[in-house]
Amino acid sequence: MKIAIYYGTETGNAEMLAEDIATELEDAHETSVADLAETAPEALKAAELNVIVCSSYDDGDFPASAKPFVEKLNDESPDLSGVRFAVFGLGDSEYEATYGFGSMKLADLLVACGATTLGERIVHDAAGDDLPEDLALPWLAGILETA
Amino acid sequence: MSAKIAIVGGGPSGCYTAQALLKRAPDLEVDVIDALPVPYGLVRYGVAADHQGTKGVARQFARLFTRQKAQFFGNLRVGEDVSLDELRAAYDAVVLATGLSADRPLGMPGEDLPGVIGAGALTRALYEHPDATDLPHLGATPVVIGTGNVAIDVLRLLAKTPAELHGSDLGAGPSDWLAAQGIERITVIGRSPAAAARFSPVMVKELGELSRAEIQVRHPAPEAEDALNLAAAASSGPLPIEFRFETRPLALEATESGLRLTVETPEGEDRIDASSVISAIGFTCDGRLDRAGLLAEAEAGAASRLYAAGWFRGGPTGAIPQCREEGQALAARILEEISPDPARPGRGLFAGRAGVVDFDHWQQIDAQELAAAPEDRCRRKFARREDLLRPALSQDE
Repeated sequence: MKIAIYYGTETGNAEMLAEDIATELEDAHETSVADLAETAPEALKAAELNVIVCSSYDDGDFPASAKPFVEKLNDESPDLSGVRFAVFGLGDSEYEATYGFGSMKLADLLVACGATTLGERIVHDAAGDDLPEDLALPWLAGILETA
Repeated sequence: MSAKIAIVGGGPSGCYTAQALLKRAPDLEVDVIDALPVPYGLVRYGVAADHQGTKGVARQFARLFTRQKAQFFGNLRVGEDVSLDELRAAYDAVVLATGLSADRPLGMPGEDLPGVIGAGALTRALYEHPDATDLPHLGATPVVIGTGNVAIDVLRLLAKTPAELHGSDLGAGPSDWLAAQGIERITVIGRSPAAAARFSPVMVKELGELSRAEIQVRHPAPEAEDALNLAAAASSGPLPIEFRFETRPLALEATESGLRLTVETPEGEDRIDASSVISAIGFTCDGRLDRAGLLAEAEAGAASRLYAAGWFRGGPTGAIPQCREEGQALAARILEEISPDPARPGRGLFAGRAGVVDFDHWQQIDAQELAAAPEDRCRRKFARREDLLRPALSQDE
């Protein structure tokens, strides 16, 4: 199965995780990695598994590189029915009230455009002890089993 | 292309520039040079001890050295241990990313009185920078001048209870110092109106959530939704933190019990008694490098083979995301302009030089600091330069 990995990042941490995921999967799958900043919503394909890594920034905002993509979702409400996606969030629980909001809001927007969620969105906590890939890789393996 | 590039300064700007260079051109020889024996600059010594999530970018920077094949040359101060001219002769391009480490002076009578300390000097001491001065005695009623994010970091640390510092990497010495200060009231002075203050709203929100804080605002922003107004409404602890906007500091004088600050306010001149004054009005060059001259050369064009990045280039504003964005733009420009000369020795310049430490050295320090963390801390930093230089050091332990 072709797995298309996208990232929305502010400081590069989501980009690094997207690359780690691609590296992990590339032996068994055809993978691609792209910045959401350079992605149109229509590029998400029904035939692929779309994996999105997205952080939050500032007061639960979208990270800078996700903003143009989000604007297009908002302004153009593209029809994404048939598109399947899984979202992995990066957050910081020091900012409890808006923890993981970037990834949550992005997932909600995609669903509002008709796309379907695969698996449960989880959020890595930058203030915690785990490494993001140690959460993300088993999470994605679980999703791949059912996809 | 195997051009050789030296980046002076291993903080966020230098590291993001190196990352972007190697991403575009993996065969470059990129060397990151730092005056300290350890990398990451303000990520280690400027990002607050209780903002560990923000320090997460250090994982990206580590990969520069472990995967992207950049090399780290630590404990090597340009201008002392190696001259900038030597460096420029040895590399195809030199990027100056040394930051701005000196506190901008208050520029008023009494600015040098005992009891006046810069926020940069104070945070270096709190975060156990090896060149830091001793932590000062702040007394019961410190005044903070400035309303940027550095001022808010200082306020937050001063206001936190020991429990609120769990999970941080604040050292034992600074933690004991904080607990012993006995601060009863903090006054924060800002020249601008509240709505124009430089702090980020999310930082103020965080301040308002502290158990001890009681935020008060003189001359508040008119909007009820203003972050500081919300924080003032939400906070009700025993420690008043009063923000006084539209208040211009004029002079400091010594009194029997401490300091007295004269300020100009919309209601006329006022005097504020302070047990100590923390200036947090920005940073400036420490004068070790001729910043103005070097920036002029760097701007003059590709022939200088000299580039500037981060705060050293643009002044003391912008946080980690801006460093990344600017680093990417700078990397693209360098790769467009560079013309490699195989005769330049690059890192060969440092061959056999005593005292220089590499990235393996940092990985040993890092592992030891993490392993030595007490239960309520994520790391125990080595505070003294000799300890930061010692490893290779305790491999035998």
